[in-house]
Amino acid sequence: MARPVPIALAATACAVLVLSAGCGTTHENAGQAPNAGTNTKCKGPNGHYVIGMSQANVAEPYRQRMNDDIRNAAASVPQFEVKFADAAQDNAKQVSDVENYLTQQIDLLIISPNESTPLTGVVKKAYDKGIPVVVLDRKVDGDAYTTFIGADNTDIGRQAGTFIAQKLLPNGGKVVELKGLPGSTPAQERDAGFQQAIAGKNIQVVATGVGDWLRDKGQQQMDAILKAQPQIDVVYSENDPMAEGAYLAAKSVGRENSIRFTGIDGLPIPSGGIKAVEDGRLTATFVYPTGGKEAVEAAKKLLIDCQQVPKKQTLPTQLVTKDNAEAVYRAANGG
Amino acid sequence: MGSTPPLVAMTGIGKRYGGVQACRDVDFAVRSGEVHALLGENGAGKSTLMRVLSGDITDYEGSIEIDGAPVRFRGPADAQRAGIAMIPQELDLVPALSVADNIFLGREPRSRWGGVDRRRMERETGRLLRQVGIRLDPRQPVEELRTGEQQLVTIGKALSLDARVLIMDEPTSALSAAEVQRLFQVIAELRAAGAGVVYISHRMEEIGAVADRATVLRNGRVVAEFAARSMTASQAAEAMVGRPLSAMFRTTSGEPGEEVLRVRELAVRPRRPRPGRREPAGITLSVRRGEIVGVAGLLGSGRTELLETLYGAGTPGQWTGEVLLRGRPVRPRGPRHAVRLGLAFVPEDRRISGLVLEHSVLANTALSIVDRIARFGLLRRRTETDAAADAVRRLRVKLAGLGQPVGTLSGGNQQKVVFGRMLLLRPDLLLLDDPTRGVDVGAKAEIYRLLGEVAREGVGILLASSELDELVGVCDRVIVLRDGRSVREFGTGEARAAELLAAVMGDGGEAGAAPPGERPASRVGGGT
Amino acid sequence: MTQRETIQRESDGAAAPPAERRLDVVSVLFRFQSMLGLVAVFIAAVLFSPHRGAQILFLTSENLFNVVRAVAEIGIIAVGMTFVILIGGIDLSVGAVLGLAAVGSAVLMVENGMGVVPTVLLVLLIGLVFGLLQGIASARFGIQSFIVTLAGLQVARGLARIWSGGQGVAIAYGDGPGEAPVAFSLLGERTFNGLVPIPALIFVVVAAAAIAFLRVSVFARHLYAVGGNQKAARLSGVPVNRVKIAVFGISGALAALAGIVHAGQLNQGSPNDGAGYELDAIAAVVIGGTSLAGGRGSVVGTVAGALLLGVLNNVLALNNIDANIQLLIKGLVIVAAAGLQRLRPAL
Repeated sequence: MARPVPIALAATACAVLVLSAGCGTTHENAGQAPNAGTNTKCKGPNGHYVIGMSQANVAEPYRQRMNDDIRNAAASVPQFEVKFADAAQDNAKQVSDVENYLTQQIDLLIISPNESTPLTGVVKKAYDKGIPVVVLDRKVDGDAYTTFIGADNTDIGRQAGTFIAQKLLPNGGKVVELKGLPGSTPAQERDAGFQQAIAGKNIQVVATGVGDWLRDKGQQQMDAILKAQPQIDVVYSENDPMAEGAYLAAKSVGRENSIRFTGIDGLPIPSGGIKAVEDGRLTATFVYPTGGKEAVEAAKKLLIDCQQVPKKQTLPTQLVTKDNAEAVYRAANGG
Repeated sequence: MGSTPPLVAMTGIGKRYGGVQACRDVDFAVRSGEVHALLGENGAGKSTLMRVLSGDITDYEGSIEIDGAPVRFRGPADAQRAGIAMIPQELDLVPALSVADNIFLGREPRSRWGGVDRRRMERETGRLLRQVGIRLDPRQPVEELRTGEQQLVTIGKALSLDARVLIMDEPTSALSAAEVQRLFQVIAELRAAGAGVVYISHRMEEIGAVADRATVLRNGRVVAEFAARSMTASQAAEAMVGRPLSAMFRTTSGEPGEEVLRVRELAVRPRRPRPGRREPAGITLSVRRGEIVGVAGLLGSGRTELLETLYGAGTPGQWTGEVLLRGRPVRPRGPRHAVRLGLAFVPEDRRISGLVLEHSVLANTALSIVDRIARFGLLRRRTETDAAADAVRRLRVKLAGLGQPVGTLSGGNQQKVVFGRMLLLRPDLLLLDDPTRGVDVGAKAEIYRLLGEVAREGVGILLASSELDELVGVCDRVIVLRDGRSVREFGTGEARAAELLAAVMGDGGEAGAAPPGERPASRVGGGT
Repeated sequence: MTQRETIQRESDGAAAPPAERRLDVVSVLFRFQSMLGLVAVFIAAVLFSPHRGAQILFLTSENLFNVVRAVAEIGIIAVGMTFVILIGGIDLSVGAVLGLAAVGSAVLMVENGMGVVPTVLLVLLIGLVFGLLQGIASARFGIQSFIVTLAGLQVARGLARIWSGGQGVAIAYGDGPGEAPVAFSLLGERTFNGLVPIPALIFVVVAAAAIAFLRVSVFARHLYAVGGNQKAARLSGVPVNRVKIAVFGISGALAALAGIVHAGQLNQGSPNDGAGYELDAIAAVVIGGTSLAGGRGSVVGTVAGALLLGVLNNVLALNNIDANIQLLIKGLVIVAAAGLQRLRPAL
C-alpha cells in the first residue's frame, strides 16, 4: 500500500492509548508496551485454558472450515476449551465479541478479523491486557498481536496467473476475471498478483465481473459476459464458488467445454473447490489454507510449552489439478 | 304469550368495560315474526347488548336461550350457526374486494375443481342486491360505492346468511328515502317468513312504520317497553333521555349579516376521475353570517363532494365558476389552507375521517389549534388544556377526563369532539356533512342547539344532511342538489318537507319508488 | 403523554372511580411494557451470567458500558426509525445511509483534509437531505415509504461505494496530510476515567432530546395524528406532507450521526458498513411497543427495546451460546414482544 502506514499507525496506537490506558510517551512503541503475553498466561501442561475464537462470518464455507479445523485440532489438547463467536460480517459486532471475551477473561484470543483497521483497536486492547492474540487470515494494523498466521493472497493470485499464462494459455488468449467483494483485501490482492503474473504475456482480460464471492452472483455476472463475449478461453475466478457459478452459466448456453475455469480456496469439503476439480468442472484451484490447525499449535506453544512463536507465519498454497485432487482431499481430511 | 318459547330470550344480561357498566340486568326477547325495536341514546347499551347476542362479546353476565334451550356463544361463528346475523353500524366490508367477494367472504361457493365458483357467487349476489333494491355490478370494488350503497351491501350480506334472527343496527343511517322503503319491504318479507328482527334506530318515524314492539334502554338498563305502533315519538324520546324534551330544533334564528360565501356555477373537472364520486357540475349558492344553509340531495347528488371541494379536500382538477369568501375569490390548496382562510369542516364519517380513535380527547380536540397556540413550536399545555376543556364543557361531551381515548366515547360524543375541534378554530364558515348520522336524539338536539348558537355568533353554516326534517327544522334556506347541480333553493320558512322531498327526488325516476299511500319516506314526518 | 385533567362530569357519568383506576393500572403496564421486558431480561442476565469467583461478570461496570456502547449506533438509528414508524412509515435506508456517512466522514477528513466540525456538519447535512428526498418522494408522489426507502437503500450503498472507491477507507490520526484530526478519535474513546464510552453518551443525549421533543413540540402532536389517522389529520389542517418529509429527514440525519460514530469507533469508513442495521433498529422499535400501524409508541420504549436487545446479545455471548441459536432466541423475543402488543386492551 502506498499510504504512510507507519506514521499513521503509531499515531493511531497512541491516540487509542492516550485516554484509555494512559500511554505516557509517544515514542514508546506499542510492541514494547507492558505486555507480558506468554509469560503471565502460561501455566504449563497442568493449566486449564479458555480460548476465545472470534470469527468474522461463519456463513462463508471457508470460515466455517477454519472453525472446524480449530475445533478438531483443539480436541486433542485436553487443556483447551475453545469458545466461538460469529460476527456475521459486521465489524462492530466483532468488536463486541472480543470485548465480551475480555469480560469472560479468556486466556488466549484467536481472531480472524472481518476487516483490518476496525478491529485493530480492540485486538490491541486484548493484547495490552496480556492476552496472547493469534490473528488468522487477515491482519490487523500495527503489531499489537502475538502472531499472524495466514497465506499470501498476492502470491496465490500470482501463482494462478502464472499457471494460466504458462500452462493453460501458452500462446495467449482471452480471459474473464471474476472478482470478490469490492473493498475486501483478498479481492484486491488476488487481483494484484494475477495482474503481475500475466503482464506482458499476450493475455487479454476481455471482461471483469464482480461476484461478491458468491456463487449466484458469479453466475449472473457470467451470464451477461457470455452474451457479450463470443470467445472466452479461461475464467479466472478469485474464489471457487464464483467459478462454479460461472461454470453453470456457461453450461446453460452449452459453452462449458470450450472454457476452462480456475478458482481459489480449495476447501476440502464436499461442496468445495477440490471436489469441483476432481469432478472436472474446474481445471484448477489453489488451496488457501485456513490456518486453524496452525493456530491451535501456536496456542499450545504459548500456553502449555511457554515458548515464543514467530510474529508471522505464512502458509503455502497448493495447486490442485485433476491429477492430485483426490489425494489432497484425503490428506486434508486426515485420511 | 303462547306456549312456544321466543326465538331468542336474553335474561339478566350485564357487561362492564373497565369502569363503565354498559349493560345491567337486561331482559330482552325476540319472537318469531316479530320486529322488536331497541331504542336508547348512544352509550345506552344497545350495541353492547347486541354484540352479546351476536357472539362478539363472550364475557357477560346472564343467560341466553334460543328456542328455549340455553346457549353460550364462544364467538360470532357460534352465533351465526345458531341463526343470528348482525348488520353492524360500522360497516365491516373489505374495501378493495368486490361486492360479491364481500358478501361471500369466508364462505365462497366452491366449484367442482375446488376453486371459487365465481359465476354462482355473482349470480347470488345479483339476486341479493335486487332483493335490497340496488343495481350494482357484483364485481365492482366496495370502496367505489357510496356509504349508503355499502350499507345496503352489508344488509344483503346478512340476508345471504338466511338468519332466523337479524340484528340491524342503524341500517338506514345513510340510505335515501326510496332505499329505506325498499328495506322496509325486505323486513316485511322476513317477518312473514317467520324470522325475528331486532331493529335499532334513532328515527322514531321508522320505528312506528316497521316495528311491533319497542324496548328503551337508558344507562344500560331497560326503562320502558312500548307497543311500537301506538308509541309517540315524544314518549319514546323522554324515556330515552329520562327528562322531558324541550324543543328539538332551534326556534330563534339570528339576524343574517354580510355574505361570507358565494359560489357561482362551480364545476370541477377532475384530473383523474375517481369512481363513485359526483363532482360539482354547476353549483350556485350563498351563505351569510349567522345563517344556516342546508344542502339537500340524494346519495350521489354531490353533497359531500361540494363540501370537500370548498374545503380544498376534493378531487384535484380544474375549477370553473367562482368561489368568493368574504367577497374575495379563493381556491383552497388543501385543508390547511382552507383552515387559514377561515373555513372549518366536520366530515361525514367521524371514525374514518374525523378522529384519531386511540388518542386522547385532549389531543383530538386541540389538534387543529396546537400550532396556533404554540410558542417557538412548543406546546403550551395550559392554554391547550383550557381550550379543550372549554370546548368539551360547552358541547357537554360526556367523558371521564380529557386523557380518555376518544374511541371509548359513544358516537354522539365522538361527533361532538370533532365539532368542538372545528369550533376552536373560530371559523367564518362551518361546513358540516351529515353531522347527526348515527347520533342519538339527545345528542342531536344538542348539536342543533349548538348550530344555532354558533350561527348567532356570526358564523355562516353550510349543512349537508340526508334527513329532510333536520334540514327543514334547522336551516334558514335549503339548496337542493341533483347530479352535482344546484337545482332549486327554498327560502326561509318556505321549505316544507314534502316539497323538499319532491325536489330532491326530481320529477321522474325515484319519486315513483315510494309507494303511494305509505308514509312518505319516513323522515319527512314532523320533528319529534 | 397527555396529562389527565379531570373534567366535571355532566349528569350521571357511568364510570366509577375505582374501576377507572384499575383501567389505569392496565394501561400503565402496557405503556411501560418494554421497560418491564428490559427489567426481566436484565434480571435473567444477572441470573444466567457466568461468574468469576463471587463476581458476576455481567454486572461488571465495564461490561455494562460495553452493552450501552454496543447498542449506541442501533439505538441512534432506532430513535429516528421511531419517528418514521410513528407516522406509519418505515425507513429501510438507514443502514445504507450509515455506511454512506461512515465513508463520507473518512473520505472528507483523510482525503479532503477537512476538519472535524465541517466534516460532521457536512455528513449530517448529507443524511438530512437524503432523508428529505426520500420523504418528498413518499409524501408528494404517494409512493409507499417501504418502496422509496428500499430504493434509497440501494442508492446510498451505491453512492458509498463510488465515494470510497469500493473499499474501506482507513482513518489514521495525526496532523499530516492523509490523516484525520486526532479529535475525531474521541468517538472511539471512553471518558470519566476511561469508563463511559463516548458513543454511549451520544446515544443518551440523542434519546433524551428526542423524548423531550416528542413531549413538548407541536410537531410531535402532528406526527402522532398523522400516524393515527392521516385522513383526519389532513382534514384538521395538519400539514401532513410536511410532517412526513420532516420525519424522513430526521431519520436520515440520525442515521448519518450513527455513521459518524461508526467511523469514529472503528477508525474506518467502509461502504458495506451498517448492512442489516435497519432491521435491528426496527426490532428495537417494535420491542419498544411502537405500533407499525403508526400513531402509537414512544422513544422511551425504543430505548428500552434497544437496550433489551443489547443485554440479550451480551448475556448470550457471555454464555457462548452458539451464534445460530442466538438468532433463534432473538427471533423469539421479538415475536413475544409483538405478541404482548396484541394483549393491549382494544378500543
